Amino acid sequence: MVNKINIWYFSSFIISIIVAVPIITVFSSFFETTGGYVSVLKNTFLLDYIYNSLILLTGVLTLTFIIGVGCAYLVSFYKFPGVNFFKWALILSFAVPAYIYAYSLTAFFENYGTAFSILKNLFGDGNYNAHIPKFDGMLGAIISISFSLFGYVYVLTRASFHYQSQNLLELGKNLGFSKQKSFFKIILPSARPAIVAGLSLVAMETLSDFGSVSFFGVSTLTTGIYNAWISFDDLTLANRLSSYLLIFILGLFILENLSRKKAQYHTSSKGGFKSKSVIQLFNYKSILACLFCVVVFFLSFLFPVFQMLYWTIIFPKHLLDLNLIELFSNTMLLVFLSCCVLILLAFISNYGNRVSKSKFLEMLNTFSISGYAIPGIILAVAFITFISWLDLNMINYLGTESIKSIFIGSILGLVLIYFIRFYSLANNGIKSGYLKINYSIDESAYLLGYSKFKTFRNIHLPYLKNSVLLIGILLTIEIIKELPITLIMRPFNFETFATKAYIYASQDLLEAAAAPSLLLILIASCFILITSRYILKD
Amino acid sequence: MKKLILIILTLSFFKSMSLANEVNVFSARHYDSDIQLYNKFTSQTGIKVNVISGKDKSLQKRIIEEGKNSKADLYITADAGKLGLFDSNGMFQNSMSPAIKSAVPSNFRSKNWTGIAKRARIIYYSPERVSANDLNGMTYEALANPKWKGRIVIRQSNNIYNQSLVASLIDNNGKKNTTEWAKNLVANMARDSKGNDRAQILAVAAGEADLAVANTYYYALMLSGSKGTEQQAAAKKVLPFFPNQGDRGTHMNISGGGILKYAPNKDNAIKLLEFLLTKDAQQHIVNNTYEYPMIEGVEPHELIKQMGFNFKQDLKTKVANYGKNQAIALEIMLNAKWK
Repeated sequence: MVNKINIWYFSSFIISIIVAVPIITVFSSFFETTGGYVSVLKNTFLLDYIYNSLILLTGVLTLTFIIGVGCAYLVSFYKFPGVNFFKWALILSFAVPAYIYAYSLTAFFENYGTAFSILKNLFGDGNYNAHIPKFDGMLGAIISISFSLFGYVYVLTRASFHYQSQNLLELGKNLGFSKQKSFFKIILPSARPAIVAGLSLVAMETLSDFGSVSFFGVSTLTTGIYNAWISFDDLTLANRLSSYLLIFILGLFILENLSRKKAQYHTSSKGGFKSKSVIQLFNYKSILACLFCVVVFFLSFLFPVFQMLYWTIIFPKHLLDLNLIELFSNTMLLVFLSCCVLILLAFISNYGNRVSKSKFLEMLNTFSISGYAIPGIILAVAFITFISWLDLNMINYLGTESIKSIFIGSILGLVLIYFIRFYSLANNGIKSGYLKINYSIDESAYLLGYSKFKTFRNIHLPYLKNSVLLIGILLTIEIIKELPITLIMRPFNFETFATKAYIYASQDLLEAAAAPSLLLILIASCFILITSRYILKD
Repeated sequence: MKKLILIILTLSFFKSMSLANEVNVFSARHYDSDIQLYNKFTSQTGIKVNVISGKDKSLQKRIIEEGKNSKADLYITADAGKLGLFDSNGMFQNSMSPAIKSAVPSNFRSKNWTGIAKRARIIYYSPERVSANDLNGMTYEALANPKWKGRIVIRQSNNIYNQSLVASLIDNNGKKNTTEWAKNLVANMARDSKGNDRAQILAVAAGEADLAVANTYYYALMLSGSKGTEQQAAAKKVLPFFPNQGDRGTHMNISGGGILKYAPNKDNAIKLLEFLLTKDAQQHIVNNTYEYPMIEGVEPHELIKQMGFNFKQDLKTKVANYGKNQAIALEIMLNAKWK
C-alpha cells in the first residue's frame, strides 16, 4: 500500500484538487444565505427554465447524435463520391463557435436580413418578411448549438470506428447479420464509450451555454443563474443553481457509468488488429450518402462562413480597422501555453490513475467535469472568489504580499482557468486512448524491467500519439473560441479574436463582428486542416 | 545568445515597470470611437490610457475582488442604474471637479460619478397603421391602454434599458401602479419578447406590430446605412415619437463613468473625465455613436436632430435613482410574465 502512495498518485491528486476549486467554491453557496430572488424565481419562471433546459438538451443531444454518428458511420465504412473530402471537412464545424452560428442564423433570417436582401435582388420588391421562416427561439438555439457541437460526437466516434477491427465486422457477417443489424448490435455498442464521451461534452456545453440561448431569447436554467447574479446581485443563489446543474450532470454520468458496468473496451490482443475494408456504394445509396454529408457540411460550416464573408465584403472597413498581428499573437500565446499545461498535466494525472488503480482518484477525476458544466462566467467568478479568499488568508496567516495581481488580470491566471475549464477534455481524451491499451501490456513491460517512466515514454506515448494530437487540436480550437472567461480575466489592452467579435456584437454591430469572427474561423480551420491528416490516418 | 535574451527580457520587464503616466479604464462601453478619443487624449496630455472592456457585472466583480490591489482608475458604462448600484456598493470615490460640475447638469451626475452622453428610450410607430391623433399626448403609462392590444413590441425583461425605464416609472408612479402597468403591457404585446432594440423597430416596419419601444441611437444607426440598404429603407417606414411631452418629459439614460475607490491614478482619471466632456470630445462621441451630448453648445448628429431635437427631456427624475429600483423593476416584470 505504501508504494501506491507514490509520486504519480500524489501528482494526480494535486491536479484533481486544483480542478475541483470552482466546484468547491460553488457548492459552498449552500452554507450561505440567499436573497429574495428565490421566491420570485419559484413563482414565475423556474419551471419554465427547467423545462426549456431539458427540451434544449434533448433536442441538441438527438440532433448531434444523428449527425455525428451518421457522418462518422458513412465516412468510416463506405466509399462514395467526396468521402475523402468530407472526412476532414466535417470537422471544420468546430471552427464555428455557437455564438457566431447564432449571429449568422439570426442575421440571415431576421426581418430585412440577408435572406430578404437575396430575395429582393432575385425577385424584386415584395413582402418577403412574412414568409421568411424565423429560426429564432428554441429551434434556433437547438440548431446553432447542435451544428457547432456535433463535431465532438463525430470525431470521437470516427476515431472509435477507426480502431474497430475487421474481426468484429466479420463476426457479424458470420452470425448472418444484415448491415443494419451489424450496425445496431456490434458497431454502435462497441463505439459506446466514444459516443458517450462526445455526447457528454455536448450536454455540458449545452447546459452551460448562455451566449446563444440569450441571443435567441430562450430562457434556460442558465438564464436564471445569470439573472440571479447580474440583476439581483445574489451570487449565492447563482452558485446554488449552478450546483443543481452540476448535480444533474453528475447524475447522468453516474447513470452512464453504472449501465456500462464492467465492460471492457480495449481491443483483444488475440487475432491481431485487422484494418477494415470499406464498402463501395453504388447508385442511389452513394448519392444519398454524399447528399447527407453535403448538407451537414453546408449547414455547419459554409453557411456561417458565407454570412460572415458577406458582411466583410460589404463593409470592408471593419476588417481594415483590426490590428491583426496583435490579435493573432495574443490568441496564439494563450493557445500555446494552455495546451502545453493541459496535455502535460492530463498525462500525469491519467498515468497516475492507471498506475495506482485507485478508485478514489477515479472519483476525484469525475469532479473535473465541473470545468465544463459550470457556466463560464460562474467558473471565472468562483476562481476570483477563491483567489481573494486565499490571498486574504495568506496575508493574515503567512504575512505574504498580495498574490491577487498574479492571478487576476494576468496571462498566468487566464491559463490557469483555461486549465480548470478544459481539463476534462484533455483528461477524458487521453483516458479513452488509454482504455484501448490493455493493462497487461504495462505488466509485461514491468516484467521486462521497464521503469514506470520508461513504459510511459516508450510504449504509451507512441500508442497515444493520435489521441494527443486530437486533444491538442480540440483544445486549440476551444481556446481560440473561448469567450466569457477571457472577457473577465484578461489583462488590460489584451484582445483576442473572440473578445473583439463579442465587443462588436454586444453593440449590435454584427457587421463589424463579422471580420474577427471570420478570422477566428479561418485560423481554427487551418489548425484542423494541418493536423487532419494525422487525426484521420487510415 | 542566452545572455542577450536575458538582457532583453530584463529590459522589457523594467520598461513595463517604469512609471508610465497612465490611467486604467474598465469599460462596459465598447465603441471604437472611444478608443480614438483615448488616443487623442494621450497625444494631448501624454497620459497613456489602458483599457479593458467587458460585461458590466463581470468587471464589477473583478474590481470588487481585486479590492485595494485593483489597478482600475475609471469605470465607464452605459446605464445610470449600473453606476448607481456600483456607487451604493461603495466602489467609487468623489469624482467631481469644478469643470465637471459646470459641464454636466446635476440631474445627470452624482457626487461619485458623472454622465458623459445621453440617450432616450422612445416609441416608434408605423404611420400607415397609427395616426398622429392616436399618439396625441402619448405616455409610457398609456402603453398599457387596451386599445394597443397585440400591437406593441419591446425587448426582454433582462435588458438593462427596460429595467431602467421601469425603475423610472416606479420612481414616478409607485410600485403598485407600475405592477398593474406591466401586466397590461404584457397583454398588449404582439409577440413574446425577443430580439434586440433594432429588431423591435424592424418588427414594426415589417408589419408585425404597430408600436415599438427602443433607444434613439439604433434608429439613427439604421438610417445611416451602416446596417445595409434594406434596413435603411425599413427604418424610413417607421417614425419616432417622444412620449410624456405633456408631463415630466421623455425617459433619459446616460453613459457615464466614475473614479474607483482605490484608483492609483486619480488625477489622471479626472483629467480623462474632463476631457470627455470638452466640446471636441463630445462632438466626436455624438457623431459616432448617435447619442445626445451632455454639455451645452454641441449639436447631436444630423440624423438624431431630424428625429426631433428640442423635445422635453425628463430632467426631474434623477438617473441616480434607477439603480436602487432596478431589482424591483425586474421582479415586477417577471411577475407580469414579461419574458
